[in-house]
Amino acid sequence: MYTAFVFGRINLPISIFIAILGAGFAGCLIELGIYRPLRRCAATPLTFLLASMGIYIVLQNGISLIFGDDMKSVRGGVVYEGIEMLGARITPVQLTSIVVTALLFTTCILFLSYTRLGKEIRAVANNPDLAQIVGINVDRVYLVTFFLGSVLAGIAAILISFDTDITPMMGFYALLMGVVAVIVGGTSSLPGALLGGMLIGITQSISSWKIGSQWQDAIVFLVLIAFLIFRPFGFFGIKIKKAGV
Amino acid sequence: MDYFLHILIFIGLYIILSLSLNIAAGYAGLITIAHAGFYGVGAYTAALLSLKIGTPFVFNLIVAMLMAAVIAFLISIPSLRLYDDYFVIATFGFQMIIFTLLNNWMSLTHGPSGLPGISRPKIFGLEFSSNLSYVVLVGIIALGTFLFLNRMVSSSFGRVLRAIREDEIFAQSMGKNVWRYKVLAFIISASFAGLAGGLYAHYMTFIDPTSFTILESILLISMVIIGGAGTMSGAVVGAALLIILPEILRFIGLPNSIAANIRQMLYGGLLVFFMLYRPQGLMGVPLSSKR
Repeated sequence: MYTAFVFGRINLPISIFIAILGAGFAGCLIELGIYRPLRRCAATPLTFLLASMGIYIVLQNGISLIFGDDMKSVRGGVVYEGIEMLGARITPVQLTSIVVTALLFTTCILFLSYTRLGKEIRAVANNPDLAQIVGINVDRVYLVTFFLGSVLAGIAAILISFDTDITPMMGFYALLMGVVAVIVGGTSSLPGALLGGMLIGITQSISSWKIGSQWQDAIVFLVLIAFLIFRPFGFFGIKIKKAGV
Repeated sequence: MDYFLHILIFIGLYIILSLSLNIAAGYAGLITIAHAGFYGVGAYTAALLSLKIGTPFVFNLIVAMLMAAVIAFLISIPSLRLYDDYFVIATFGFQMIIFTLLNNWMSLTHGPSGLPGISRPKIFGLEFSSNLSYVVLVGIIALGTFLFLNRMVSSSFGRVLRAIREDEIFAQSMGKNVWRYKVLAFIISASFAGLAGGLYAHYMTFIDPTSFTILESILLISMVIIGGAGTMSGAVVGAALLIILPEILRFIGLPNSIAANIRQMLYGGLLVFFMLYRPQGLMGVPLSSKR
């Protein structure tokens, strides 16, 4: 599901707008072509997990084939000096990322809490069968969710691409960290996702500062495993028996 | 000719790997994405023993198995408290941790530069320096693995594992210590991966961490699933198929630069295809239908 992270890469020659829409439509295509048929034959969450790994591998290698394996950069030649802020240096791009993240986060919360579609999404997440009974078009909700999720991933990818160089492999890292952040924060909880994301980021930074950057992944996964054992529902997660990834 | 022997050796190695993964993933229902990690632990254990102490081949293999088993036991304590996708993600995490350790523990593993100069094995004065002799050696060990694991899954132990896969609470209510059986399945599975790792290290005479990444784990689980989880023949067919298929690409004359990508895409595409149209795999019986 998070495979669409990698799609933001397409933004090299074309505009940001097309990249975001492209990511969204790719998400829709995957939902229509693969996940929907899988749901029809009542697949287990494990089947979805394995299928999504397959999709990820195909996409990533497809991108490698088309664009090449090497690093690419969309940044201009000029390196801006960071702005001094609270004793830290921060570049304009990073500042933009923070602002965009805050905006998107607020929009998501408002969308999920107050709009009809947002409520439908939460209903389907809770109990797809019941949602169907009360007249929600479950398939359409899934489709929209995939579109929105992929668009968000596309936006994240673009923000990252302005900050660092990009490679076809980087999607995997984003995917792993995304999964970790969602689990640590608690599945199906937006504040949880935000907090989880921040916790992962801070853990990474502190461990690379205190222990050494080569160990930061190991530390992040130790945190993940600790959470899985002691708080499998994350900070804000509701006690659900099983959750899809 | 050497090329075909090389392929045969790899098929043998991967048959051991997928047979062993099948014990955990197919029979006990523990889909683990850490198998390449155990494979790596075995390879590094054998390589380090042979390089630093110079112990004989058979001894190295046994220690490689034990080492993988010990690490599997340690991993299983936290992981086996989790179910389904959460279990998969936990093994995911451990795979990443093992890889990071292999890649960064410079003083022991030499990190990304790897360990060169591992000797080809010698058993009771018999040298296995040619590829042909190594094919025989790997073949015998793969056959032994098959017979041993086949015997195991058709014993009462195997029946309990299948019962746990189908309905854990039911197995528990029949007085089976579910946790113990799961841990045992996990450990046995990992120890044979360690064995394959040792064989790999002594065959290649050079190892580095890139052979034991998460993609390798995904390839192994694809072999088991595509062949048919929970069948002995499936594991063999899956391993042979996924090794031979990409080699055919070589003969179509694809340039090397894109062959690696195409090969990966083939694995991924096959995995998606099988999930859609034949989730039980080539030789398989349908997986657990609970839910």
